[in-house]
Amino acid sequence: MATTVRGAFSILAVAWWLVAGLSACVQNAPPELLQAVEVLDRQLVEVQGAEFAPEEYARFVDRWVAVKGRLLAEEDVIHWPWEADPLVTDLHRLQEDGWQAAMTAAQRKAAKRLEAQQRLGVMEQRLRVFNSLLDEIGGRVVLGQRPIETQVVVSQARSLLDQRLYARSLGALQEASRQLDEQSALLNEELGRYADAGRVEVWRRMMERTVEWSRAHRTAAIVVSKADRLLTLYRNGRRVVSYRVRLGFNGVLEKRYQGDGATPEGLYHVIKKRDRGQTQFYRALLLDYPNSEDRRRFRQARTAGAIPPEAFIGGQIEIHGKDDMLLSQTLGCVMLDNRQIDAVFDATAVGTPVTIVGATEVSNAVALALAGIERAGGAQDAPKADGQTVAQEAAVEGS
Amino acid sequence: MKQVMTLAVAPLLLLVIGCAKAPTDKLAAAEQAVNEARTAGAADYMAEDFAKIEGMLANAKTEIAQQDDKVAVLRDYGKAEQLLVAAQTESTRVMGEVGKKKEEVKAAAIQAQRDAQEAVKTAQLLVAKAPVGKDRAALEAIKADVRGLSASLNEVSAALQAGDYKAAQSKAKAIQDKSQAVSEEIKSALAKTGGAKASKSAMAKKK
Repeated sequence: MATTVRGAFSILAVAWWLVAGLSACVQNAPPELLQAVEVLDRQLVEVQGAEFAPEEYARFVDRWVAVKGRLLAEEDVIHWPWEADPLVTDLHRLQEDGWQAAMTAAQRKAAKRLEAQQRLGVMEQRLRVFNSLLDEIGGRVVLGQRPIETQVVVSQARSLLDQRLYARSLGALQEASRQLDEQSALLNEELGRYADAGRVEVWRRMMERTVEWSRAHRTAAIVVSKADRLLTLYRNGRRVVSYRVRLGFNGVLEKRYQGDGATPEGLYHVIKKRDRGQTQFYRALLLDYPNSEDRRRFRQARTAGAIPPEAFIGGQIEIHGKDDMLLSQTLGCVMLDNRQIDAVFDATAVGTPVTIVGATEVSNAVALALAGIERAGGAQDAPKADGQTVAQEAAVEGS
Repeated sequence: MKQVMTLAVAPLLLLVIGCAKAPTDKLAAAEQAVNEARTAGAADYMAEDFAKIEGMLANAKTEIAQQDDKVAVLRDYGKAEQLLVAAQTESTRVMGEVGKKKEEVKAAAIQAQRDAQEAVKTAQLLVAKAPVGKDRAALEAIKADVRGLSASLNEVSAALQAGDYKAAQSKAKAIQDKSQAVSEEIKSALAKTGGAKASKSAMAKKK
C-alpha cells in the first residue's frame, strides 16, 4: 500500500514538474526587449533609414517582420527549459542589427547633410562672385534673365536642404552649377575679345594712332576705353585728364544695331557740338557714327542673319553730360558728369578725333572679371584641407 | 484482397488531399497592393512604412520557397499567408495615408504657386513704374529679372503637372522670395526719385 502511495506521489511530482517546466517555457518574449526593438524601429524612421541605409534597413525590416510572425506562432514560443529561447536570441540579434542600421543611417545622413551644406555654401559664394563680377563689367544685361533663374535654383536648393531633402538639394546645386558654366561660356563668347591679346593689340594701335595724330596736329583727341570705362583727353599727344564714364546699358558689347544699348567701337570724329539748350543732356559732342566701317559690319551682320531683319543701324551717338538724373539715360552714348563734359567740351572742336576701343591693356577689367569667373567655376569642386574652398579663395582674388 | 487495396490506397489519398497548396492568389493580391502603394508614392512619402511592407512580402516569398522545398505532406503555408494578408492590409492603409499626405503637399505647393504668381505680378506692375534714372543698365537687368521670374513660374507648373509637389513648392517659394526682393529694389528706387518722372525718360532718343 505504502509502495503504491509513494508511486502515486512520484508520478504526481513528475507531472507537476513537467507542467511547471512547460508553463515556464510558454512565456512571451521579454516586453522590455520588444520595446527596445520597437524604439529602434522608430529611430530608424526618424533617421530615414530607408533612404540612408537601405540595405541595412531592409535586412532589419525583414528580420523584424519574421520575428513578429514567429511571436504569433505557438511552436516558436514553446521551448525546453534547458534550451536558450531562440526568439529572445533573435530579438537580441535584431536589436544589434537595428542599432547598427540606425548608426549607419545617422552617419550617412549627417554626411549627406554636411555635403549638401558645404556644396550650397560653395555655390552661394560662387554665385556672389559671379554676380559681383558681372555687375562690375556691366554684363548682366548680356545674360538676360539667366542670372535670376540660377539664383532661383540656388534658393530652391537651400529650401530643399531646410526640408532635409539632401539628395534633391544636391541635384538643384548641380543644375545651378551647370547653368553658371553655361553663362560663363556665353560671357566668354560675347566678351572673350577683351581677353584676346591680338584684338587688344589692334585697339592699342588705334589708340596710339589717335594720340600720334594729336601730337602731329597739335590738337586735342579723345580715347575711350570701354572695359575700364575711362575717357582720356589728350592735347598735343599728351594725356590731359581721364574721367570715369557711363556707357550704354549694354555698353560692353559691340554695337550691332539701333537700340541694342551697346556703345560702338571705332575711329570717330566730333561732327557737331551741342551746347546748353541744344541738347537734353546739358552739353554734347555728336560723333560721326555710323562710319563706313560700321555700315560694312552692319550689312555683313544682316546678311549673316546675326541681327533682326527689321533692325536699323542707328545714329546720334554722343559724348554728353547729364542735365537731369532722370533723363540722363544712354542707349549707347558715352556719358560724363556735367563738370567733366564742360572740360571736354571746351577742349574740343568739330573734327576732334574720338577713338572708342574695347581696351588698351590685356589685363583690362573685363578680361580680369572673365578670368575670375572662370577661376571660381573651376575651383568649385576642389575643397581644400583647411576647409576653405578654392572657390572661396578665387572669390577673394576676384574681388 | 479488396480490403488490402483499400488499406494501401487510403493513406495515399489522404496524402494527396492533405497536401497544402501555395497561396498564389494571396501572393498575387499582395504584390498588386504593394505595387499600387508604390505607384501612389509610398516609397517617397512613407519610405519606412513601405520598406516594411516590402519586407513582409519578401519574407512571405522566402517562407513559400522554404515550404515548397519540403515534402508535400509537411508543407504549411499558414505563416506565409499571414504575412501576405498583413502586407496587403498594410499596403491599403499606407495608400490611404499617402493619398492624404500627397494632398497636403499638393495643396501647399498650389498655395506657394499662387503666392509666387502674386509676387511676380506685383514686381511686373512695379517695373512698369520703375524710374529710368542714371542707371539704365540696372533697369534693364531688373526687367530681365522679372522676365526670368515669370519664366520660372512655368517650371512650377510643370513640376505640379508631373506630381513633383516638393520641387514645385520649393521653386515657388524661391520665386516668391526673389520677386519680393526685386519689388523692394524698385520701391526703394521709386522712393528716392518720387517715381513721378519715370516715363519721361522715354523721350531720350539715343541709339
